[in-house]
Amino acid sequence: MELSNKSSKAKIIISGIIPFAFLIILVAYIFGPGSDLLDLGVPLPEITIEKVDFVDSEIRATVRNTGPITVEIVMADINDRIQPAAIEPDRFLERYETALVRIPFAWNEAEPYTIGITVEDGTRFEKEIEAAAHALEPNLELVGFFTIIGTYVGIIPVMIGLLWLPFIKRISKNKYHFFLALTVGLLLFLGIDSVEEAIEVSDENLAGSFNGTLLVATIVVLSFLGLYHSSEKLVKRAESSTIGKPVAIALMIAIGIGLHNFGEGLAIGAAIGLGSIAFSTFLIVGFALHNTTEGIAIAAPMSRGKTMIGKLVGLGMIAGAPAIFGAWVGGFVYSPFTSVVFLSIGAGAIFQVVITILRWIREEGDKNLSSAAVISGTSIGMVIMYLTSIFV
Amino acid sequence: MKKSSLRIMISSLIVIIAASSLYFTLSGGISALQEEKTFVTHSGGIVKTTGEILDPLYTSATMEFDPMKYLRDFNYGRVSQLSDGTTLREFTIIAEDNKIMEVSPGVFYNVWTFNGTVPGPTIRATEGDIVRIKFINNGSKEHTMHFHGIHEAQFDGVFESVGAGGGQFTYEWKAEPVGVHPYHCHTMPLEEHIVHGLYGVYIVDPKEGRPQADEMVMVLNGLDTDFDTENNFYAANTIPFYYQHHPIQINTDELIRVYVVNMVEFDPINNFHLHGNLYHYYPTGTDTVPSFYTDMITLSQTERGIMEFKYDYPGKYLFHAHKVEFSEKGWVGIFLVKDNNNQNSPKEVQYGT
Repeated sequence: MELSNKSSKAKIIISGIIPFAFLIILVAYIFGPGSDLLDLGVPLPEITIEKVDFVDSEIRATVRNTGPITVEIVMADINDRIQPAAIEPDRFLERYETALVRIPFAWNEAEPYTIGITVEDGTRFEKEIEAAAHALEPNLELVGFFTIIGTYVGIIPVMIGLLWLPFIKRISKNKYHFFLALTVGLLLFLGIDSVEEAIEVSDENLAGSFNGTLLVATIVVLSFLGLYHSSEKLVKRAESSTIGKPVAIALMIAIGIGLHNFGEGLAIGAAIGLGSIAFSTFLIVGFALHNTTEGIAIAAPMSRGKTMIGKLVGLGMIAGAPAIFGAWVGGFVYSPFTSVVFLSIGAGAIFQVVITILRWIREEGDKNLSSAAVISGTSIGMVIMYLTSIFV
Repeated sequence: MKKSSLRIMISSLIVIIAASSLYFTLSGGISALQEEKTFVTHSGGIVKTTGEILDPLYTSATMEFDPMKYLRDFNYGRVSQLSDGTTLREFTIIAEDNKIMEVSPGVFYNVWTFNGTVPGPTIRATEGDIVRIKFINNGSKEHTMHFHGIHEAQFDGVFESVGAGGGQFTYEWKAEPVGVHPYHCHTMPLEEHIVHGLYGVYIVDPKEGRPQADEMVMVLNGLDTDFDTENNFYAANTIPFYYQHHPIQINTDELIRVYVVNMVEFDPINNFHLHGNLYHYYPTGTDTVPSFYTDMITLSQTERGIMEFKYDYPGKYLFHAHKVEFSEKGWVGIFLVKDNNNQNSPKEVQYGT
């Protein structure tokens, strides 16, 4: 018995390895004797100017090799006029390697500039900057500024949203479900909005080789699954402890919203950092309005338990405070790649929150998600968000 | 047993990650200690960097084509006398189209060449001489030589394409009219054959000669290195910024004669502006009396002429396209004028007889 068990185990292992062995042979053939097969076409160099910073009398471009071959950076220009420049650490870039091109240039505030980089075969790549603005340097004043903005956008609106708790507590079950569904609609809209934003940032700033849309899809799904899994565990554990299920659900919602708000803070910080000040004013007001609804989402499950002011404030902080950190990161160390990643994580988190609330409604209600309250609540939530997105 | 081995694996993984992150932070620290390099910007600013310098400042070490040699290099051909006493000048010109040349530091471009350079050799004859050009096409495409000037139709280099891989054709005519003319390949697609570098200068001197002078040739050209029908570089004699970093040395009170030919494609105009001086301008060089006394002449495609001037004061004087875009992309140079008080013997004009 023991012996046959062992041999069957070995068989399983071998049968698992055999396809791998063939796969290795397949790949080795293409790289080795079969490499002529792939000798079609000419690989073209490609670089992407990912970021442009304007500092004192100098323009700094972060360049990444996003093509299939090693490239040599040979020249820099501004507005298609050749400029002497420095490149750090050196001018040879392996695949996906980045370098900093420093171009001494007396630039003018708020003017548009096109930064061009030429590689060794004479191909020129460029990036347009709509309005030059001084790169933000981390100092206490700016950190404070971003903290205030993050508080304005993240914490205060969420807290205001939480103030609806007494109201939600007093309404009938049906109306309560309507409000829960309303937050579902609002959050669904926010999630889709984040996905759109992430795809937009990747289209504008990331090279095609990053497969921007698929990157967004992958991270959204991973973030969703990760949070979904931990939410299940947390809620199960909470049921058997003193915390209570409503608090656990509210906590998961707060964490999801917090991740989302980190992405929002990132967008705001980046908008200020990139000099689109007017745009970021809209962004700030818009986010503040949207985020009150996030308060409702947290308050909704809590309304069926004891009112715990301390816990409520804590949850509000978990949901709102990440906006501050996001603003710091976005303003000081902006990179389109991390931006895409965090926007996607935020979207996945929001979708997880949506699922959590829907399940809460199902359990609370009559195992029914097609009631008039739920359908109308979700629809009205979407419509409200769409309308505010037009006006903001 | 299994669990402990897993634990060992995980802990060793952590050690590896920690060590490698330490290495990366440390190596960053090491590179920060690297020696700093300094460079001067076009506006005179000084910048320090730990990295490398990207500047079209040309170093002669890596140079295949020497614009300083080309500047004053005139080819008079193999000279012999025909029975009637006419001077015969024979030239051999070989076309190639497979050469990759570093046209600006780090920028490699497929140049098509007459006798290995862009522009091709400056061909020079005296009015009335017989010019015979043995043309060999060693390229991979058909090419021809089309000279501006007066000649029989059969030697116009348009309809008599010369085959790739060693095709031959002999062009022959009497050198006329007096002046400075371009020559270029006239194979279709014509723009492609010109912008890749198949052109040069053909000078016909008057029988009585011109006054003694320090003579030079400047072909105003452009390079479209990314093939988007817009020039990435402009230059006098191919290499961008060359004469800015290697000023042309001339003397005070010495007559300077520049044969200027505009071969820029894509852009409708080019021009030539001289600093601290004005020049006498002879359009196409066909007349011995200058038409203009100016410091700025605008030239369209293959428009050309002779510019004559003398500097009274020593020093550095810029010359460049006053279409400033072109000068900021390389068409800019400097005349370094030396005091000529001690030199009483200006250079003789050689007619290669």
